[in-house]
Amino acid sequence: MLKRLLALALAGALALSMVACGTPAAPAPEGGESEGPKTTFKYSELSEVPTLDPQLANSVPSNTAILHIQEPLVRMYNGVLEPGAAESWEISEDGLTYTFHLRDMTWSDGQPVTAGDFEYGIKRLVDPNTASPYGWFACYIKNGSPCNSGELPLEELGVKAIDDKTLEITLEYVADYFLQVVSNACYVATRQDLVEQYGQDFAATAEKNAYTGPFVVKEVKTGDRLILAKNPNYWNADQTKLEEVEIIVVANANTAVDMYNAGDLDYVQVPSDLKDLYADQISEFFDGSNDFLRVKQDDPNVPTHNKDLRLAINYAINRAEFITLTSNDVYAANPRYVLPQVAGVNKTYGEEYPYEAYPVNGDADKAKEHLDAALAALGCAASDITIELLTTDTESSKKQAEVLQQQIQSVLGINITIKQVPYKDRLKMESERDFELVFTGWAPDYSDPYTYLELQIADAYYNYGGYNLDFDGNVIENEFDKYMEFAATTSDKQARMDALFAAEKQMLEDGAVVPLLLRRVLYMKNENLEGLALYFLGARIDFTRAYWAE
Amino acid sequence: MAKYILKRIVISLATLLVLITAVFFLVRLMPGDPFASEKMPPDVKANLEAYYGLDKPLIVQYFTYMGQLLKGNMGYSMVYSNKTVNDIIAATFPYSADLGIRALTFAVCFGISLGIVAALRRGKPLDYGCILIAIVGTSVPDFIMGSLLQYFFGVQMKLLPVAQYTTWKHTILPSIAVGFYSLASISRYMRTSMLEVISQDYIKTAKSKGISNFRITWKHQIRNAIMPVVTMMGPLVASVLTGTFVIEAMFVVPGMGKYYVESISTYDYTIVLGITVFYGAFLVICNTVVDILYGFIDPRIKIAK
Repeated sequence: MLKRLLALALAGALALSMVACGTPAAPAPEGGESEGPKTTFKYSELSEVPTLDPQLANSVPSNTAILHIQEPLVRMYNGVLEPGAAESWEISEDGLTYTFHLRDMTWSDGQPVTAGDFEYGIKRLVDPNTASPYGWFACYIKNGSPCNSGELPLEELGVKAIDDKTLEITLEYVADYFLQVVSNACYVATRQDLVEQYGQDFAATAEKNAYTGPFVVKEVKTGDRLILAKNPNYWNADQTKLEEVEIIVVANANTAVDMYNAGDLDYVQVPSDLKDLYADQISEFFDGSNDFLRVKQDDPNVPTHNKDLRLAINYAINRAEFITLTSNDVYAANPRYVLPQVAGVNKTYGEEYPYEAYPVNGDADKAKEHLDAALAALGCAASDITIELLTTDTESSKKQAEVLQQQIQSVLGINITIKQVPYKDRLKMESERDFELVFTGWAPDYSDPYTYLELQIADAYYNYGGYNLDFDGNVIENEFDKYMEFAATTSDKQARMDALFAAEKQMLEDGAVVPLLLRRVLYMKNENLEGLALYFLGARIDFTRAYWAE
Repeated sequence: MAKYILKRIVISLATLLVLITAVFFLVRLMPGDPFASEKMPPDVKANLEAYYGLDKPLIVQYFTYMGQLLKGNMGYSMVYSNKTVNDIIAATFPYSADLGIRALTFAVCFGISLGIVAALRRGKPLDYGCILIAIVGTSVPDFIMGSLLQYFFGVQMKLLPVAQYTTWKHTILPSIAVGFYSLASISRYMRTSMLEVISQDYIKTAKSKGISNFRITWKHQIRNAIMPVVTMMGPLVASVLTGTFVIEAMFVVPGMGKYYVESISTYDYTIVLGITVFYGAFLVICNTVVDILYGFIDPRIKIAK
């Protein structure tokens, strides 16, 4: 009898669990949609926002979220710089001293925002004990690099709060783009009292930080979503029209599209294979990522130390065909190195200096000319040359590598082998200069050609290919470095830009890299949602001024 | 019995220690490192390595880790820099477990029933129907099952929500997607073992004593046939409850599976270790519980001890 009761009870419990086992999350109220205009905005990210701690942020999702909850000194909206926490600023004659005048504004908990909060934030970024992955981003500031490596004490850093409302930053060298640098998340004001109170848990949950931006964090649901709410204490609160924003983690891109179609999302990124299915609803923007091959040039055992061979590879590639085969024409073929969308003097750099270093459809005749010259210099036959192409171990990387392999081999008759390794391993091998050809990319930190070109300066850390280095690693005297040197010291904007273009031309004529493509993002958004800004820098998706049309 | 249980627990702890040690050193053997990034100058990397203690000798790191683990502290993630592994497990395991319990309930109820029905109607159309379900369930991978369910019931018929995990309606499709494989294997085990039992002498004895068919099936056949199913429940519970990456990603369930898979490709040592330890401990506990349950279901085991 007892056993039968027990069995019954068990069966009952099982049945109950099926129905009643409380779902961990309470159902979200569907309110706010029946009356008045909609004031919520929901969109998805493929991965979770890794951190909301401004100085520890090193990813696009983090940067985007932080720029909505904190106010930088200068705010970038759709590529235009506007006053943010700083009402106004002055730049000294020599371009080395920036003085910011802060407006009257408060933190979300009512405390006034001071220049000291900004000074603390920037010093925290540089402090080696913070171990910020973006610590190098203070290298423009006087003593930024030695303070970050611990060689100099933090007091030597060129940042100083003159009084509560005035912040003075001294630069290490002339950087015209410095206002763009301070518009990044890692330069925002940070509360010393809260950092000291919470330690590494600072900014982990909504309560463990205070906010100065258009939104505040309402809730951080680990692995699920980030909920922001309008900040009534924001200095420009009238401008914020959205009351609540949900950033939902949807790891599966196809599911995100289904959710968008079901009305669960207002904005979604569309995977390239669905491009044709939603052709009439899709828009696109360049997200700033620029993919290219780095080429080993300072190793006598790797034949690409020969300039003609590098040029032969560059001319052999049919970039237009490559883009069609590997991305369904979502990405754009790139016949040059610098992202054309970055700022020039008055217009974009691409408009001011149009340039096609290598024809997008390739040029087999020119490729063979250069190959013949290379073979003569190397003293071998084309079939004797084998070059290894290093890339990541994903399916899409494999496809890209195979198309390149096929194009180069069929035009030049040399051998290309493919080596696939995990992403983090590829990065490590690349930085240790352990490769022959590597598929890589760069996203800009500010809108200026310099952000791409500085990677190729002979003694730069990022010159992994060894451009302008001899076999012993010594710098060869060269034109490129001279142009770059001039650009870093002149105060004549037009002459500076001309020099940067001359540098780009020089490095491509030397075949220093193999440019390939510019990435575009496909997206769909609800047609009634207005004022969303999508840009290749800063907050890639900016909803500070978004609103619903009635 | 007490001695038996104690012995099981000691063996479990030893297993865990070996597991943690092996994973700790194996993770470090992976090529690449957690801080590799497009923009990572050596000074910045040195700061990070010092911060996470990776600059110390490996053996020192091991003892530091074990010391912290004994206090129940699994450390901060290297990617989600403000979150500890404890935070992440605490936030996501309830979702994985909730989904797992629903999936298991579905799988056990229907799996056992199907197995019984198939065995009782051996060779009849109903049996073939059950076999078909079992074959489909074991051979169709969960991501296809999930996509099909999502497409037909969510996108086409709009009967159930496409994704997310908020109301009970949202839980139906992912539970079926996760549970279907287990359902199929449970029903196969159950059918086979029912057929084995039916030819046993004690069933004949019961029949000759004139006990009703229903009583024979219910009291003698099922109770004896369920043993192998209980055996496979241990690992099944552990694997289903700790999260399934594919289905969680597909149905936007904020569970633990994602962290486990993601942390391996991001080289987030603390999460890889933390979740492995958690999963390992869970598996060991489930197996131990099953071993102990055995003692209650099958009196012969008690005698053998």
